[in-house]
Amino acid sequence: MTTVDKTVRATLADILGISAERAASFTETTPLFGALPELDSMAVASVLTELEDRLGIVIEDDEVDGDMLETYGALVTFAARKALL
Amino acid sequence: MTGGLHIDSYEWPGGREPMLRFGDRSPRVVLALPLLEEFNRTRAFGVTLLRGLAARGVSGLLPDWPGTGESLMPTQAVSLEAMRVAYGAIAASYAPLFALSIRSGALLDTGSPVSGRWHFSPQDGADFAREMGRQTSREGDVAGNLLSDAFREEVGAATTDDARVVRLDSDGRDADLKIAGVPLWRRAEPDNDPALAARLADDIADWIATCGG
Repeated sequence: MTTVDKTVRATLADILGISAERAASFTETTPLFGALPELDSMAVASVLTELEDRLGIVIEDDEVDGDMLETYGALVTFAARKALL
Repeated sequence: MTGGLHIDSYEWPGGREPMLRFGDRSPRVVLALPLLEEFNRTRAFGVTLLRGLAARGVSGLLPDWPGTGESLMPTQAVSLEAMRVAYGAIAASYAPLFALSIRSGALLDTGSPVSGRWHFSPQDGADFAREMGRQTSREGDVAGNLLSDAFREEVGAATTDDARVVRLDSDGRDADLKIAGVPLWRRAEPDNDPALAARLADDIADWIATCGG
């Protein structure tokens, strides 16, 4: 598991208040936005801001769309690309 | 009476606001919780922290600021300047006083005559304003709070004063102390962490003893 993957998993667990076991069970295709009831629009804002703090990245508002939050894999891919810039 | 919880209030030039008081002796701290939605997520934690400090011989104040908590001021009328004036009124009434804050609460003690500052995961004005923008709904409110454009601009330019800075170890930024824990202020549902509150209360009691409380 990459550092970014670990960070995204830990961030989702901390913010959504879900167990480490449940976060560990997320795979690339696990649906997020619209599928996790805890992940409402306020929680999305929290997840993005916390990822910025933990990964030292800046996410511009126009980069935020439904696709990057559709699945766990899409969110990790997005965060990894930002972390490499 | 010492160590007890009192439901109190304080006066500032704009009126009277509610305040919780824990204990009634020196040394004494005032705690500024984060503004807006993070306030609700950290209030129980803040009360646990102040109870822990009271058990360590440190009295505490937990004021509502103009336009926050149970204050009667409407959120559209909120200004950081008014909150800082209210903060200054408390600092003057209860001197000597040590300033504690969580997150954007760090913006409130700026310029106040306190004996020392301790900031937990402080957020500067630019970060806070950016997050506020991200949380703003299409209707223009932030989690149900209507805020003025003047407040957004004021906060965006606001700075914090030098302080002992404590951060969670998941946070990459510099700090005087890093501590393990979960960022309660981001929790989708309010939660508490008595073990973290106890570790922070130890750090605060030591810090006050060191800086001559």
